Amino acid sequence: MPEIEDAVLVDGLTFGYSDKLFLKDVSFHVGKGDFAAIIGDNGSGKSTMVKLLLGLLSPVAGTIRIMGNEVKQIRDFSKIGYVPQNSGDSVARFPASAEEIVLSSLYRQIGPFRFAGKKHREITRKALELTGLSEYAKTMPSGMSGGQRQRLMLARVLACGPELLVLDEPTVGIDSDAVDQLLSILHEINISEKVTILMVTHDLAKIAAYTNRVLCLSEKHFSEEDLPTGTVVHIHPLTHDHQYEHVHCASCPKPHITEDCAACKHQRDGGK
Amino acid sequence: MAAIFQYEYMQKAFIVGILLSVIIACLGTVVVHKRLSLIGSALSHSSLAGVAVGLLFGFSPILGAVGACLIASFFIEGIRKKLPAFSELAVAITLSIGIGLAGVLSGFVKNASSFNSFLFGSIVAISSFELYLAVGLSAAVLLIFLLMYKELFYVSFDEQAAALSGVPVRLINFIFTVLTAVTVSVASRTVGALVISSLLVVPVAAAMQVARSYKTTILWAILFAFLSTVIGLFISFYVGLKPGGTISLLSAGFFFLAVAMKMTSGKIVALRQKGALQ
Repeated sequence: MPEIEDAVLVDGLTFGYSDKLFLKDVSFHVGKGDFAAIIGDNGSGKSTMVKLLLGLLSPVAGTIRIMGNEVKQIRDFSKIGYVPQNSGDSVARFPASAEEIVLSSLYRQIGPFRFAGKKHREITRKALELTGLSEYAKTMPSGMSGGQRQRLMLARVLACGPELLVLDEPTVGIDSDAVDQLLSILHEINISEKVTILMVTHDLAKIAAYTNRVLCLSEKHFSEEDLPTGTVVHIHPLTHDHQYEHVHCASCPKPHITEDCAACKHQRDGGK
Repeated sequence: MAAIFQYEYMQKAFIVGILLSVIIACLGTVVVHKRLSLIGSALSHSSLAGVAVGLLFGFSPILGAVGACLIASFFIEGIRKKLPAFSELAVAITLSIGIGLAGVLSGFVKNASSFNSFLFGSIVAISSFELYLAVGLSAAVLLIFLLMYKELFYVSFDEQAAALSGVPVRLINFIFTVLTAVTVSVASRTVGALVISSLLVVPVAAAMQVARSYKTTILWAILFAFLSTVIGLFISFYVGLKPGGTISLLSAGFFFLAVAMKMTSGKIVALRQKGALQ
């Protein structure tokens, strides 16, 4: 059986309703090990794209494959970690400790109508450690900053050991230092845990240094000067004839030039 | 033994009151965190409509209350599913229908006192059947609540993520709805329909002021509900107040006490930090 190269493969995707289309004939791919970002204007269809990728919406036409499997056939989403938009805010008033919140995400591992064991608590501890929240294990989200809450939501999905991580605008509403910290953690996860990352964001300036692939979903095209260094695929959400691909080299923020770092590898290969 | 426990009706009142306070606090924790705080009011008022139907057509008012509560709760769940952004509206609509029906139907009930006993409850006039019913119900609710603890936590936290993780969200919501409806119906006979909604929410609101985790929120809520019930029964016996109302007012008192405790501890922490800085 040939090894699957793409973590995400979208082909001829169209989505909308009888009176309005939101995405038309969109095609792109995200390779395994990529740190990819979807950028675009408000209302360009970024979050819709995420929902389609997760099978929460059904396309009118086209196919979506995640790790080689068609999304509508996937029953087990445990290998796809999803951090929704404003998830940090939505958890802010929930009265549970960070440990309890992360532990709840291990539903599949624990099994229905069973209690969490030592093994599950250890996975939880590691996920909190990976996101720099070890000392906040017994703290409730109301006692955390916006950036810490966002990392807590990341810890939840990391605990499940995902192969693909989908984040919908994780940097919204948190300060610049917290954004840097979050992106740095994502970069480390991308390298050390070999997790493919696909992130929807508005933050062009911040993501430039971290991603090796940027998908631009917009009605008005970004000029090349505006685009971050990385592989950029312009996708017009409605008029597919504007679709084209332009390649940049990624600049890794921590140029460790290892085989595992997608950004370094991309740079070494001359952006091919 | 204290004089209060020499009376059989007070022994029954304590047993039923304590058992109901424990299970109502457990269910209330999920209700509040699912942001359906008013569901208790909607269900208890709908149960009154069922009571009236039962009294009118000559069958058990408790059965009528259970039926009306189930219909009301599935109606709320149905609207919640169709219009997720308007779940609070679903509760308000059900509440209005429940009150309306109860009001209209109660006009046809000949024995007004039996209908009124469901309004404020009659915890000191519990029959042996009602005692066994409360014991059986409490055991069932506690067992199911413990078994579904993880699932209920996840569904309250994030229904969509829970579904993606394989939690049978529809089944869990269905079981929880039935448990809440049956509990509200049985409790309306004892603590009263108008009091049940406050017992479902206020001890949890008080617990949220002092708890540091989900588990301790449940434990604090149980403690507040337990204390409200026990102290309420004592006061009502010795002072001659209505038990349902006394329990409800005491739970509100515990809420304000918990808020005061939180504010005081916050000030102490701030003062300590100030001292440490100096």
